[in-house]
Formats: sequence, structure tokens, C-alpha cells
Amino acid sequence: MTASWCWLTLGDDAPAGATAAAPAWDAATGESAGWLALWARRAKPSRDARRVDGRLLDRDGAPAHVSLVRPRPGVRLLFDDLAVQQARRDVLARPPQDAVSTLLSDASHFEGAITVARGAGVARLADDPFARVFPRRLLRVGAGVLGSVPAPAGPTIERYGSAQPWPWDRFA
Amino acid sequence: MTDPVAARPSLAAGGAFPDLALPDHAGNARTLSELVAGDPAVLQFYRGWWCPKEQAFFRRLLALQDEAEVAYCRIISVSVDPPPVTAAFRAGLGARWTFLCDPDRTEQERVGLRETTDTVNDPYVPAVFTLAPDLTIHAAYNGYWFWGRPTNEELRQDLRAITRAIRPDWDAPTP
Repeated sequence: MTASWCWLTLGDDAPAGATAAAPAWDAATGESAGWLALWARRAKPSRDARRVDGRLLDRDGAPAHVSLVRPRPGVRLLFDDLAVQQARRDVLARPPQDAVSTLLSDASHFEGAITVARGAGVARLADDPFARVFPRRLLRVGAGVLGSVPAPAGPTIERYGSAQPWPWDRFA
Repeated sequence: MTDPVAARPSLAAGGAFPDLALPDHAGNARTLSELVAGDPAVLQFYRGWWCPKEQAFFRRLLALQDEAEVAYCRIISVSVDPPPVTAAFRAGLGARWTFLCDPDRTEQERVGLRETTDTVNDPYVPAVFTLAPDLTIHAAYNGYWFWGRPTNEELRQDLRAITRAIRPDWDAPTP
């Protein structure tokens, strides 16, 4: 895949046709949270799919803890909203996690974020800057879907093209 | 065997800065080219957290940070401090860019930026470089004496010149 993004879904059932997928559980209760899937294709796989950084996709990825921030249905904020800007600054100011990507479906709106943590980073997931903007779920996700991405190089908080999730870090 | 001193790169404008490979403030392996990505960059070498001149210069860079974060420019700072010290210093400053750590002084030896007059800390000699995305040096500033360091206005001029050279749409597209 040459695109810099892929689609992310969290659905009840094992997704057919996803590029990578793994079961997810609520990190606190252990109850099933469905299946987290990434789709490396241009066509949107479902209505609630959102774009994320394509580098998250790793079919060899180890199990991970995830902070998944999503707005309630019908709610979204401009990417340039001050709260969203400050959340990006806060992410850069903190020790990096295994991966982070904002979620979006168009060129101007912030529609959540996913932060992937393993090891010592799991404890720091509790304080996800994006969770101050929208509600979040803390999940455990099985192996085979989420990789590690080099931490964003600061201090740039802008997106490299309005169709790109932050922190994709170059015009390409 | 290659003489490491003779093999040192020229760090003058127009030369290519070596692609440093060092741990960042969180201990992750990074390279300079990865951090610069496709953007103009300010590469700063500083003595250490303890130096009052560095503290004063960091306050200058912090004043530039808000502009850099919206202008597609990078800042990278390098010292011989280990990651835990660097992470604490960075957090205290409120810096949001990446710091690189060379406690073993491997890259310091390669680029020849050891401050020989400080045999206690054996630090980097203070220096600032503005870089194009391919690590070509646009300007080099010797910061041994504080007034040799770039002002923020000089950095803005450098970053403007690099950006103008690398962005094909510098002349804004209009109808």
C-alpha cells in the first residue's frame, strides 16, 4: 500500500476482508469489545470507519493496550479547534508511546485518536491528552494488527495535507 | 585504517551533515534524517542542562517553538546527557521537539564537536546548524561565545530561505 493512511474499524464481529484484525477486550473488565480491524484500501469499509496513519498496520504486531478516543455519534470538532491543537502539543511534550494517530473522515474534522502502548507505556495510557477532547475506551487488542511507529518529531502539530492523519510527518 | 580526524566532515554551509544515529530522550533509537523528515530543521548542540548559557539559549528556542510547530520546521537538540537527564530537562523546559543523547560520545567524535576546554563534562561545543531536508547545511553558527549563536530572526531568515527553496508552491497558487 502506498497511501499514508488506512481505515480503522471496531465492530462486533470478525471482519471479512480486513487487511488485519484482532479481538479486543475492555482493559478494565476483560469483557469482549469486538474486533479492531485495519483496512488498507481506498474504499471505506463501513460507515463508522475512520482514517488512521497507515504505519499502524502490522500483521506481525504484538498484543497491545489501546486508548481509543471517539466522539459520540454526530459530534466532531474542527482539527484546528484549540482543544485539539493543545492535545497534539501535549502528545509531543510527553514520552512517546508505541504509536499514535488521529482519526478522521474528511479534510477538516478531528474524529478521535488511537494511542498504542506496550510495556511501561501502558500505565501512561490513563492520561491520554486526546481523552480530554472526546470519550475514550481503554482496550486490550490481540496480536496481528497494530505495530509500532517512530514517535512524531516535534514540534510540528500541523497535518501534512488535510487528508492525512496527524502525525504523518512529510508531504508525500 | 581511516584517520577519524581526517575523515571528519566539513560542517560548513553547503556541506552535508552526517546522519547522526543516537537514542532520543525516551531511549528510542533515532536518526537525524528520520527526525528532519522532509522539513527544514534547526540542529542544536548544547553543553548540558547545567550550563546557564544553554538555559538562556533554550529560552530563545522555546520562543520560536510556537512558530515552528505550524511552519513545518523541526528542531533537534543534542547533548552528552543520558536519556533520563535529558527527558527531565526537556520536560522542565516545556520543549516539544526531540532531544538526542550521546553519553558515549560516539557521534561527538565522528563530527568533531567536542569542547576541549571542558575536561570535566567533556560536552559538545555549542553549535547550531540550519539544515535542508537532505541534511545539507544552510548555515552554521559557532556558539562557543554566546554572541556567536543565532538570533531567532536569523533562524527565521534561514528557515524561510530553505522553505522557499524546497516548496514548489512557495508562490501561492492563485486563480
